Amino acid sequence: MNYTDLVLKLVKKCLSMGADAAEVYLETGRNLTIEVLNSEIETIQESSSQGIGFRVLTKGKMGFSHCNDFSDRSLVDTISRAIAFASLSTADPSNVLTSDKGFTAIEDMYDPSFAGIPMDNKIGMALQLEKLAMAVPGITKSSGAGYGEGEGEIFIANSNGILKSFRASGCSLSVSVVAEKGDQKNTGGDYSAKVFFSDLAKPETLAASAARKALELLDPVMISTRKAAVIFDPDTARSLFGGVLGAVDGERVLQGASFLKDQLNKQFASKLISITDDGTRNRSRGSSPFDGEGVPTRRIEIAGEGILRSFIYNVKTAKRAGTQSTGSASRGGFSSLPGVGTHHICIGPGRNTQEEIISATKSGLLLREVTGYGVDPVTGNFSGGASGLWIENGELVHPVKGVTIAGKAPDLLNAIDMTGNDIDYDRNFASPSIRVAEIQIGGR
Amino acid sequence: MEKYFVRDIPRRRFLEMSLKGGLFVAASPALFSRLELFQHGAKSPAGADIGKETLSKVLAKALEKGGDFADVYIEDRISRQIVMEESIFKSGLYGISQGAGVRVIAGNRTGYAYTDEITEEKLFAAARTASYVASAGPAVTPVQVAAASRPSFIQVRQPLDRIADTRRIDVMKRADQAAKDYDPRIKMTKIEYNDEVRSRVIATSEGIYLRDELPLLFFIVQVMSDDGKARHMARERLSQHAGFEMFDLVTPETVARNAAREAIAMLSAEDAPAGIMDVVMQNGWGGVLVHEAVGHPLEADNIAKGIGAFTGKIGKKVASDCFTMVDDGTLPDFRGTINFDDEGTPVQRNVLIENGILKGFMTDVLSARQLSLPRTGNGRRESFRYIPIPRMTNTFIAAGKDRPADILSSTPKGIFVQSLSGGSVNPVTGVFNFTCRESYLIENGKKTRALRGATLIGSCMDVISNIDAVADDLDFGPGVCGKGQAAEVTAGMPTVRIRGINVGGSRA
Repeated sequence: MNYTDLVLKLVKKCLSMGADAAEVYLETGRNLTIEVLNSEIETIQESSSQGIGFRVLTKGKMGFSHCNDFSDRSLVDTISRAIAFASLSTADPSNVLTSDKGFTAIEDMYDPSFAGIPMDNKIGMALQLEKLAMAVPGITKSSGAGYGEGEGEIFIANSNGILKSFRASGCSLSVSVVAEKGDQKNTGGDYSAKVFFSDLAKPETLAASAARKALELLDPVMISTRKAAVIFDPDTARSLFGGVLGAVDGERVLQGASFLKDQLNKQFASKLISITDDGTRNRSRGSSPFDGEGVPTRRIEIAGEGILRSFIYNVKTAKRAGTQSTGSASRGGFSSLPGVGTHHICIGPGRNTQEEIISATKSGLLLREVTGYGVDPVTGNFSGGASGLWIENGELVHPVKGVTIAGKAPDLLNAIDMTGNDIDYDRNFASPSIRVAEIQIGGR
Repeated sequence: MEKYFVRDIPRRRFLEMSLKGGLFVAASPALFSRLELFQHGAKSPAGADIGKETLSKVLAKALEKGGDFADVYIEDRISRQIVMEESIFKSGLYGISQGAGVRVIAGNRTGYAYTDEITEEKLFAAARTASYVASAGPAVTPVQVAAASRPSFIQVRQPLDRIADTRRIDVMKRADQAAKDYDPRIKMTKIEYNDEVRSRVIATSEGIYLRDELPLLFFIVQVMSDDGKARHMARERLSQHAGFEMFDLVTPETVARNAAREAIAMLSAEDAPAGIMDVVMQNGWGGVLVHEAVGHPLEADNIAKGIGAFTGKIGKKVASDCFTMVDDGTLPDFRGTINFDDEGTPVQRNVLIENGILKGFMTDVLSARQLSLPRTGNGRRESFRYIPIPRMTNTFIAAGKDRPADILSSTPKGIFVQSLSGGSVNPVTGVFNFTCRESYLIENGKKTRALRGATLIGSCMDVISNIDAVADDLDFGPGVCGKGQAAEVTAGMPTVRIRGINVGGSRA
């Protein structure tokens, strides 16, 4: 089936069935998942799927429906449901569709090589990765290794004359192992996720990193409740900044449900902090030529030198706020309406290596793991479980597990006094190590 | 302050769950989009026209190259979601989703393939793909499938397909009004109405053929308070496998007022203290703590891998004497009740831990085979896009003998946790964390000041050994459990006291 023709035809169908405006979002995809455990295949799963979402407007009221059966009867039935459902909603002048025909040029979004790689090679990679991780002394059990790949194509058309599509792919390699010592058990894992198969991290690297994470927290020492410096490593920085990204969601801001709602153009964090969202990088999993409703993606400066520069918006929330979409419509797939979200977040790197930050810390915690929800975007409260390595006089002295860390985001963000240069731009949330001068730690 | 709030929701109807991420995922937009709801019109459910003969042939194809077990799962789901936000009806969503999956188990290996198109040809293609894992091994001969019967624990009095959309809109408007009327400091409401009907066809190489329809209602009220100094987003939920009569048992006003009460109560919250302290947990949704901390580690998949926290501990003492924990998929109309699991095994009452002794695990077909254990009716899947894995249904700490008031008054100092947002656990190490949504300081055996956003952390082994009081007031709440795929569940418990949990506050 020619999907370009289909989405155009369906937009017309929506209008002829009574919609004043309509958007058709079609998605097709294919996935392969391989999981191995104890040198044996555990699961192989293969699938292909498709679906269409219809967003229709009648007299300013919006209705949405979706289906995965592309027969004429099913498509017509689904459109009629969207139109009927629109009558239930309240008319809203912000209910508009984009007419931006722009298309951000992005290179290397799709790797055509997957299909040519034999299944046995992919299974072999996962098996080898598990074997390498299990070979590290002290690692006692495997909780599995895996390879996954997926590719998909998105078509979007609306009654403002928009017609766009793109194809993208991704693959991943992951491993998780257990280190046991007496009654102690600790897990460690790592993964690599890329657009191109040939860019995947070497199994040796992933195996070593997973094993190190499992081993380094054995024999922890409990510390007493105190205030101390905390260094968020690149993996744990998300717990600090995830809530900030929730709080710059333009819709939350409009609703008054953001701790940053009154902070635009104000100093909300340490001068060391800059935050960009870039959906335009080449060969990057977070990139796409347009967002979840067809608006071209761009590079957004959310914060610079600790000053909040921009909230993020989709078309509807931008209209309501009296501004332009930032190309930040996120979509959970054909079955959901566009929300607001980010593409590829980068927290501005600093000059120091992580080792230098550790050396400059008299007493504190190098965070390896944070559990819980991180910063609450509504209130800015932060509280979580933590584990990591304790620092005394600039040296790592022993592991720490089962402590808590808590504070308020405005205090924590302003107390950032060192940032590292250890950033991995290939992560969808790319952050360097970040030191907060003082956080309440709960322990013995 | 009162020791216990009088809440006008009949206890076991009282529901709630977390809205943020974590293992107990709650409502990311993507997840809700999959929480699809229902109505059946003229169209008969997908799979109705795929006969038993065809299914038997597909199963034979799946086991052609070898293997121990195969099944076909055909699903049709019709879903509705209506969202009212800031007192306007923001959107109405209607979804139709159908598909089928074929699975082959050969030893420890699982092969799976699914298709959106439910045709004989596509089912055979899926069977061929799934059989990849079974290369040249000995095969079982599939039994010709025949209809099996299962008891039903779900009674529908007002079927959702006969409810006019105006009635759905009406319950939402009533909730919105009740929340706003509660207090002028209520600044924003968000009300979500979800319903769905999931039709299942299950056919297995053991000869089972089953069909049924599961209706599900999920009503969520979020209320934000703001007094210019503080802000709090509160939530209350109602969910059953039932018809629209759910709103006669618990009115939308009741749900809204409970959310509003929390939103206002938490405006005066102070920073929580940090450190190790005694915790009294109110009955109801707090059961999510044992759902995470003990329930997930008792799912047999990680036990079969030999890495679960409770591996090798059957028959051993793992908890205090007053601790009994049950998973029961037969509680009438409960959100976690499913009649039979997604592999066709009847659900049942599974006593997991009895008076501190570990009695059993929750299994699916694969883990039961691997561990030579009985199937417990816990093999569940989010949709045809996922393979079944061991999952909980309605999981709770059984009622004890203590009186709730006595538990509080005999706790001189600590934290009273009225509700949790949700949490997560590492099933291998048993280390868990929970975020409190509403909690209070306990001083001299009384609930005093409200506390802001505390986290509870610990290990499952410690927490169930440190429960030293269990009250007689068992209650439940509904949630969405995430384990790579979503499942509708309830969690429950009576009021309990746990000695020495690490509380993460921002105050020394």
